[in-house]
Amino acid sequence: MSGDALPAARETLRRRGEDPHRLGHRAHGREAVAGTGRGGSGPASKRIVVGYGFWIFLLSDVILFACFFATFAVQRDATAGGPTMRALVDMPRVAAETGALLLSSYACGLSYAAANARNKLWTQVLLVLTGLLGLAFVAMELQEFVGLAGRGIVPQRSGFLTAFFGLVGLHGLHVTLGGVWLATMVAQVQFKGFRPEIMHRLTCFNLFWHALDIVWIGIFSIVYLMGASA
Amino acid sequence: MFGKLTWSAIPFDQPIPLITSIVLILVILGVLALVTVRGWWGMLWREWITSVDHKRIGIMYGLLGVVMLVRGFADAVMMRSQQAFAVGAHRGYLAPEHYDQIFSAHGTIMIFFAAMPLVIGFMNFVTPLQLGVRDVAFPTLNSVSFWLTASGALLVNISLFVGEFARTGWLPYPPLSESAYSPGVGVDYYLWAIQISGIGTLMTGINFVTTVLKLRCPGMSYLRMPMFCWTTLASSLLIVAVFPILSATLAMLSLDRVFGWHYFTSDAGGNPMMFMNLIWAWGHPEVYILVLPAFGIFSEVFSTFSGKPLFGYRSMVAATLFICIVAMMTWLHHFFTMGSGPAVNTAFGISTSVIAVGTGVKIYNWIFTMYGGRVRMTVPMLWSLGFIFTFVIGGMTGVLLAVPPADFLVHNSMFLVAHFHNVIVGGVVFALFAGLDYWFPKAFGFRLHEGWGKAAFWLAFIGFWVTFVPLYWLGMLGMTRRLQHVWIPEWGPLLDWSLAGVAILVAGAAAQVIMLVVSIRQRDRRRDTTGDPWDGRSLEWATPSPPPFFNFAQLPDVEGEEAYWTIKLRALESQRLDPEPHYQAVEMPVNSAVGFFTAFFATVTGFSLIWHIWWLAGLGLLGAFVGFVFFAWRDVHEFHVPAEEVARADRARRAARTALLGERGAEAAAS
Amino acid sequence: MSDPETFAAGPASELDGREDHAPGDAPSEDAGYWVHNANFGLALSVLLTAGAFAVVRSDLVWGPAIPVALLVLAIAQMGVQLVFFLHITTGPDNTNNVLALAFGLLVTFLIVVGSIWIMDHLNHNMMPMQQLMQMQP
Repeated sequence: MSGDALPAARETLRRRGEDPHRLGHRAHGREAVAGTGRGGSGPASKRIVVGYGFWIFLLSDVILFACFFATFAVQRDATAGGPTMRALVDMPRVAAETGALLLSSYACGLSYAAANARNKLWTQVLLVLTGLLGLAFVAMELQEFVGLAGRGIVPQRSGFLTAFFGLVGLHGLHVTLGGVWLATMVAQVQFKGFRPEIMHRLTCFNLFWHALDIVWIGIFSIVYLMGASA
Repeated sequence: MFGKLTWSAIPFDQPIPLITSIVLILVILGVLALVTVRGWWGMLWREWITSVDHKRIGIMYGLLGVVMLVRGFADAVMMRSQQAFAVGAHRGYLAPEHYDQIFSAHGTIMIFFAAMPLVIGFMNFVTPLQLGVRDVAFPTLNSVSFWLTASGALLVNISLFVGEFARTGWLPYPPLSESAYSPGVGVDYYLWAIQISGIGTLMTGINFVTTVLKLRCPGMSYLRMPMFCWTTLASSLLIVAVFPILSATLAMLSLDRVFGWHYFTSDAGGNPMMFMNLIWAWGHPEVYILVLPAFGIFSEVFSTFSGKPLFGYRSMVAATLFICIVAMMTWLHHFFTMGSGPAVNTAFGISTSVIAVGTGVKIYNWIFTMYGGRVRMTVPMLWSLGFIFTFVIGGMTGVLLAVPPADFLVHNSMFLVAHFHNVIVGGVVFALFAGLDYWFPKAFGFRLHEGWGKAAFWLAFIGFWVTFVPLYWLGMLGMTRRLQHVWIPEWGPLLDWSLAGVAILVAGAAAQVIMLVVSIRQRDRRRDTTGDPWDGRSLEWATPSPPPFFNFAQLPDVEGEEAYWTIKLRALESQRLDPEPHYQAVEMPVNSAVGFFTAFFATVTGFSLIWHIWWLAGLGLLGAFVGFVFFAWRDVHEFHVPAEEVARADRARRAARTALLGERGAEAAAS
Repeated sequence: MSDPETFAAGPASELDGREDHAPGDAPSEDAGYWVHNANFGLALSVLLTAGAFAVVRSDLVWGPAIPVALLVLAIAQMGVQLVFFLHITTGPDNTNNVLALAFGLLVTFLIVVGSIWIMDHLNHNMMPMQQLMQMQP
């Protein structure tokens, strides 16, 4: 069977003998390529892989928000005779929401620093603080929505209101689900301690929570502040 | 209690879906009975359903894709025969509302549940082997992705028996798809099936971006990766970039339908045109998500069977990344006629023409790869050559459509239908069959039958052209797509031709089935004992066929492009293998049922959302959450394969390799 | 694992033995460093947020320029949070993270700007839906 196995490889070797300069037959990159890819070290560690994978997920999540932002931008004037953004903005509440989320993000960053220092007490205290501030944010947003609904301002009213509630609501939903995740993280840290996989999850949660604050920057600037000034 | 679900949801009055679903249910029950009688449940559960092995998951994706391909093809046969029969005074055999479901199901199934699973199946099976690693970045997530895709496919097929499917085309354009005009559950089936499988696909994209960028064997720098890995990366990047758009768009349409919001309605400030805009911002890159891995398959095939390195490897990489970026800048060409005006249309017309340049580079590279090589006319090579011919013509009709004034004339005509089948069948389906034949021995350990493979190719190739040339012609004559009834008798003969082409395609499909059956029966004769049946060039051929579940006893150390080729030539020249490594225990991820359970709860949730059974949807979501926490709580993530087992597997591989070197090598090894 | 000489040309050599960074990583330095880092990020974020609210409430900025000013402040604050909270840098250990971010931003930009551009031209060329509806009896 060896006679007809590997025909191409044998042919290449034969031709190589006939053509000492191997013109046109040389595989490129026989010399080590100073490629940009860091292949030298082999597969990356679990920590890098998990963090990077979650980073890619966050980018896809940002693109999800981009669609709702784009829809909001397109539908902003489609009020169908109903209220405009100006009528919706309650500045002190927006400021309070922004403050709560920013502080929550800050507390989350500190909890991660505490986790890196393997300080369980401070990690837990700061995680709970993160969650409470997030809860305050969600509560304020819910109160805002309920208040608006009381004035007949609901998504069913117009294309603009649909886009508004869709965008802000999607962010609120993310914060809520993040809160559920946070609760399980507190339990995991409590019962499992700082094992590698728990640390990886804390890294991911930290990224997620900061990313939600970054999205909120876009929402309060573009939806609320621009709407109030328009 | 059960929302909108009543006994009237089951189509007792429509014989075709009723009989089809009864046959389907009987087949499923038969398979389940067979599995029970043979006592295969334990094996299936341990080895396949809970497996996190990328090769097993790849094969399961392939199986799902093939089954759905048959379903989609059956829809196609019904459509082509209906149009051929329903000319002039004849009415055909399909009522309009049923015909509309069939063309919607055909497109949906072919793109989401046949082409995507097959392409992702190849990515799964091949990429980690080519990168010289043991699994993907997130093996358990990979299993979740697969089962979510299967869950979406299941929902689409449930619609055959319970309720109805969408009648709105494969992309449910509003306002037709809004609840005011499509009050039934058809669009909801579409929305939730695609939403669930879309989440699975998104996770696959994340998984493979991370795998290619972060998991490569030592020495495998970017510019040493096989072409298929590059196309996997580009395709996965596109998945990550655009599947969120699909999720967002479908979520918006669901909100409109369920809660009466006004994203895409035609009243109260809704904007149906925004749906076209968003869905095609996903839809156009989707085409490249499918075709880029197909290009990767062809690159491997041309290089292997020409016995030469891929010509212009770096230009190929550049063209792939170029296509990856520009693919996201051409979406408006799907709705030139919407009325965005000359400035917008011109810009997107130009970008559409420009993207053809990247593909042109690739076509020339493949041709030059063959030039000066000793080309072996195997079955994968035939598919690849058929692809070049078919795809170039399909691409040229695409460039015609890229010119907005020309597009206005043939928009939504049979010309368009012929064009995109020309590129998708010629580009993607041919690649899938080439890849099937090429990697089948690697996956299952024996080669497929050459003669039947060649027959399948020629029947498919000829059948394709006989089917679709008349459709180009009909489009030029002015026939629009999706007609349930054709009023103009002069079109009848062309439709008959097309149906004759379908008959040839059916024969081609039969040849594929016979090829599989004959090959399986002759598997002992067709066994690939070497692990390198095609004289391949990349690392998957360095493993035995089928590879052990840990792929590599020791991760290869790559010194240049075409990693395995370099190793092989060195071994052939020196007539000996590299020295035996010091074997160590290998760490592998443990099996997990989380994928299966997630998909179970996703199916329950999706089904109850379709029928507005809110309490059950809530229970399904709760179940999924509990499942995740349960999974997160487990303590054992990996197990160790003992060094002796690794050594035993690898020594067998080395013995087979030594035999491959030739008699002298074998003697040298023996002495 | 492999000979460092062969791969010395890659950026791996610039990493001082450290391998690579995941986004959000807080390696090597002690916790105090990262607390200071977060404090600084918080201070800058508060300043920028206050600035954004001030721009709207006062007439410091010429009316029509307010949206631009808000966008600038928002992008600046996103940058601040990326650097100080997510620890994204331009170092060689962060190349992949930054490239992925750039890709995501490109897609975001294409969707938002592309949609606005397309739909804006559409509205110019076609009669907007509301007017069409109002014309109906």
